[in-house]
Amino acid sequence: MSGITVYAARKVLTMDPRRPVASHVAVQEGRILAVGGADCADLWGAVSHDNRFADAVLMPGFVEGHAHMMAGAMWRYAYAGYHDRIDPDGKLWPGLTTIEEVIAGLSSYEAGLAPDAPLVGWGFDPIFLTTERLSRKHLDQISPDRPIAIMFSNFHLMCVNSKALEMAGYSRSSNAEGIVKGPDGAPTGELQEMAAMFPVMRRLGIDFRGLSQTPEAIKSYGEVCKRAGVTTVTDLYSMIEEEDLATLKSVTSEPDFPVRIVPALGTAGSDPQEAARYALRLKRQSTDKLRLGAVKLMTDGSIQGWTARVRWPGYVGGQPNGLWNTPPEQIFALAEAFQGAGVQMHIHVNGDEAAEVSLNAIEAAGQKHPWTGARHVLQHCQMMDGGLFRKAADLGVCCNIFANHIWYFGDQHAALTLGPDRAARMDAVRSALDEGVRVAIHSDAPVTPMGPLFTAWCAVNRQTMSGVTLGPEECITVDEALSTITMGAAYTLGMDTEIGSIEPGKRADFAVLGTDPTAGDPMDLKDVPILGTVSGGQVYLL
Amino acid sequence: MRPPLPLTVIGGYLGAGKTTLINHVLTGDHGKRLMVMVNDFGAVNIDVELLASASDDTLELTNGCVCCTMGADLFMAVGDVLDRAARPDHLIIEASGIANPARIAQVAETEPDLHYAGIITLVDVLHMARLLADAQIAPQVIEQIRVADIVHPTKAPLSDLQVAKLQSMGATLILDDREAVLSLMWDLDATLPEASRAHAHFVKWSHQGNEVMSEDRVAQALAARPPGLYRIKGFVAAPQGQWIVSVVGRVVEIKPSTRSGPTTLVAIGPEGQVTPEKIDAWWASINEYIN
Repeated sequence: MSGITVYAARKVLTMDPRRPVASHVAVQEGRILAVGGADCADLWGAVSHDNRFADAVLMPGFVEGHAHMMAGAMWRYAYAGYHDRIDPDGKLWPGLTTIEEVIAGLSSYEAGLAPDAPLVGWGFDPIFLTTERLSRKHLDQISPDRPIAIMFSNFHLMCVNSKALEMAGYSRSSNAEGIVKGPDGAPTGELQEMAAMFPVMRRLGIDFRGLSQTPEAIKSYGEVCKRAGVTTVTDLYSMIEEEDLATLKSVTSEPDFPVRIVPALGTAGSDPQEAARYALRLKRQSTDKLRLGAVKLMTDGSIQGWTARVRWPGYVGGQPNGLWNTPPEQIFALAEAFQGAGVQMHIHVNGDEAAEVSLNAIEAAGQKHPWTGARHVLQHCQMMDGGLFRKAADLGVCCNIFANHIWYFGDQHAALTLGPDRAARMDAVRSALDEGVRVAIHSDAPVTPMGPLFTAWCAVNRQTMSGVTLGPEECITVDEALSTITMGAAYTLGMDTEIGSIEPGKRADFAVLGTDPTAGDPMDLKDVPILGTVSGGQVYLL
Repeated sequence: MRPPLPLTVIGGYLGAGKTTLINHVLTGDHGKRLMVMVNDFGAVNIDVELLASASDDTLELTNGCVCCTMGADLFMAVGDVLDRAARPDHLIIEASGIANPARIAQVAETEPDLHYAGIITLVDVLHMARLLADAQIAPQVIEQIRVADIVHPTKAPLSDLQVAKLQSMGATLILDDREAVLSLMWDLDATLPEASRAHAHFVKWSHQGNEVMSEDRVAQALAARPPGLYRIKGFVAAPQGQWIVSVVGRVVEIKPSTRSGPTTLVAIGPEGQVTPEKIDAWWASINEYIN
C-alpha cells in the first residue's frame, strides 16, 4: 500500500475512549489508516510525514446536526444583527447595538452598492434594541431614493424605507393587517408576516429559494462550515426537487467541496406515504458527500415568538398557547408512514407539548411497525424535562438540543416567556445525558451562527447575555460537550461508524484547532481558534 | 397595466372536503382559466379525458384550467404566477389543514397585482363536534371559521344548534348550497352559466345616484351594510374624483381614483341571507345621513 500521509499534531483528541489522545494520525485514500505515534503506520509500507499540523490540535471534524443551507447565501445581503458575526469569506461584521449604529453600518454598506441595486439587510432583532422601534424614518436617512428592506432575524418581520413602501403601493389608505401604522396614520415601515412583506420582496427581487439550492448557495455553505471546523452538516428542512438534486449532486461532488451535507426532506403538507416513497427514492441517490433519505417534520412554532405549543402552566405573560404547523393527528400519520417505510425522522419540537405529542406519535408508530435502531431525532427539545427525556431514552429517540438559545435568548425566556424556574431547566443537556438519551447540540444557523465550539461553550457554561448562569445544575463538562458535537451528532445522523471520532477505518475528517479545548478554562472554549478542516483526507486551511 | 388577479383561499381542517371542492371547481362549467394551487395533488382526481397534460407538479386540463403544487414557498409561487406572460383568470389556493387561511388571503389585500376574492372555509359537519372538543387543535379550527367570508358545511346538513355554534365562533355567512358558493367566488360582472343559475338564487342590487362622500363616510356606509350582502363593487363620487369600492365578505377596500362620474354600485348576496328591502333600507339610511 502507498499514498500514506502521517500527520504530526501537538495533540490529537480522538474522541475514541479507548485511545483518547495521540500525537499522530495516518491517512490513506481519504480514511484514517492508523492512530498513535510517529510510527503508527509503519507496518503499512512507505509513509510520508507531514508536519503542517505540528503546532495544532486535531479533533474529529465537528458535526452540525441542525442548520440550514441559507446560512451561507444570506451573506449576499447586509448583516444588520446585534452580535458580531463572521461571513463565509472570513470578514468580521461588527454587531450593530444601537439604532445609530444600524444607520451608520448600513450607510457605509450602501455606499458600495450599484446605483440601481436595492439595499437588503438581515439578522436585525428588535428584542436587543429596546429604546426605539426601527422605522422608515431611520432607513430614509440611509437613502431616500434606493429601496431598503431590513429582514428581522425571525424572518417574520421586516422594516422598509419610504421608497420601498411607495414601490409596494403602501400608503395611509392601506388597511391590510401587517402594514404597521404610526399614531399619524402613515405606515411606519414595519411589515409583519409574509402577506405584508411579499409585495416589497417581489419588487426588490428577494427570493428565499435562491438562498438554498443554487450552486453559489451550496458552495457558500461549505465555506461557513470550514470556518466553524464542521465537516458534516445538515440542511434540516430541504425542499429537494428533481432539478435541485442534480445541482446538489454535482456541486457536492466537486473535488474541493469541503463538507458532507445531510439534507432532511421537508414534509409539511405532504401525503405521508408519498413523502416516504420520495425520501426512499432520494436515499438511493446518496453519494459520499451527500447523504439523503431522512425527513423533517414541523410541529410547533418558537418559544420567543409565543408560537411553541407548551404544556400547563403555559406562557408566563398569559399569552395563548402556540400554533401547530402540523396538527397532532397528522404528526401521528406521518410518524406511522415514515416508521413503516424505514425512513428516519427529524422532528422540530420547541415546546414541551410538541415534544410529548411527537414522542407519543413515535411510540404509537413503533407499536405498529417495530424498528430497533430507527434513531428518530427530536430537534430543539428546549422545554423537555426529566420525564420526557426518560421517555425518549425508552423509545431510543435521540435529542438534538438547541444549546445556543441559553446565551442568545436565556434572559428573555426567564423574563418574558417561561419565567425563571422553567428557563433554568431549558435546553437541559445534563438531564438528557443522565437519563441515557443520545444527545447532540446545535446552532440552527443562520438563526444563530454556526460554531460547534460556541455551542459546546453554551452547554458547558449556560451563561446568558447578561452574564447569569441559567440553571447551573444543567451544565455539562467540556469532555461531554466535545463528545456531543462529534460522536453525539454523528449518532443522530446514523453516521457514527464513519465519522465523529479519529479511529482506524473512519473518514479522515478533522477540525484543525489552534489550542487544546480540554486544557484551558471552560469559559475560553468558544475562543479556541479554528485553523481549518480536513475533509476526506483533503486539507482546507483558512 | 393588467387587471389584478382575483385570489380565493379555500381553508378547512384535514378531511373537510377541500380536495373534493377543488375537483369540482377545476372541472366546472365556469368558462374561466383557473390556476389552483394545492399542497399535494395525490388526491386531486381529474378524468383522463379532461387532462391535457400531467407532470410531477402540474396538471393541465383541456378546459384551460391548471392545478399545481405550491412547492417550497407559497408566496414565491404566487409571485411566479403574477410574473407569467399569460396570467390565469382566477387564482385559487388550498390552505393546509391547520393553516390560517387569512394569513394567505391577506396577500390579496397587500399586493397591488392581486384582488381579494374571499376565504371559503369548509367544515366537516360529521366531525365538527369532535374537533371543537379537542383542546389541542380547537383554537386553530375556530380561527379558520372566524376568518372565513363563507363557511361551507360538508358531508351532512347543519342542525340549528350547529349553525348557532358556528355563528358564536364568528361565522357570518354560512352557505350549504355548493353552486351558490362557487358562484360567489367569481366576480360580479361575470355572467353566471345557465346551469348554476338554475340552482343558485341570489339577491342582486344596483344603484346609480349623485351621492358625494368623503372616504370616512364611504367606510362608515360600507361598515353598516346588511349582513349577507356578500359582494359590493363600483364607484362612489368623491369631492374630487371618486372612490373605487370593493367588498368581498368581510373585507372592504376603498381606493382613490382621479376619474369622475356618478356613484354607481352593484351588489349581490345569497337569497335567504339578505333581502332587497334590507338593502334599499340600508342605502336610504345612508342617503338620509348625507342629506
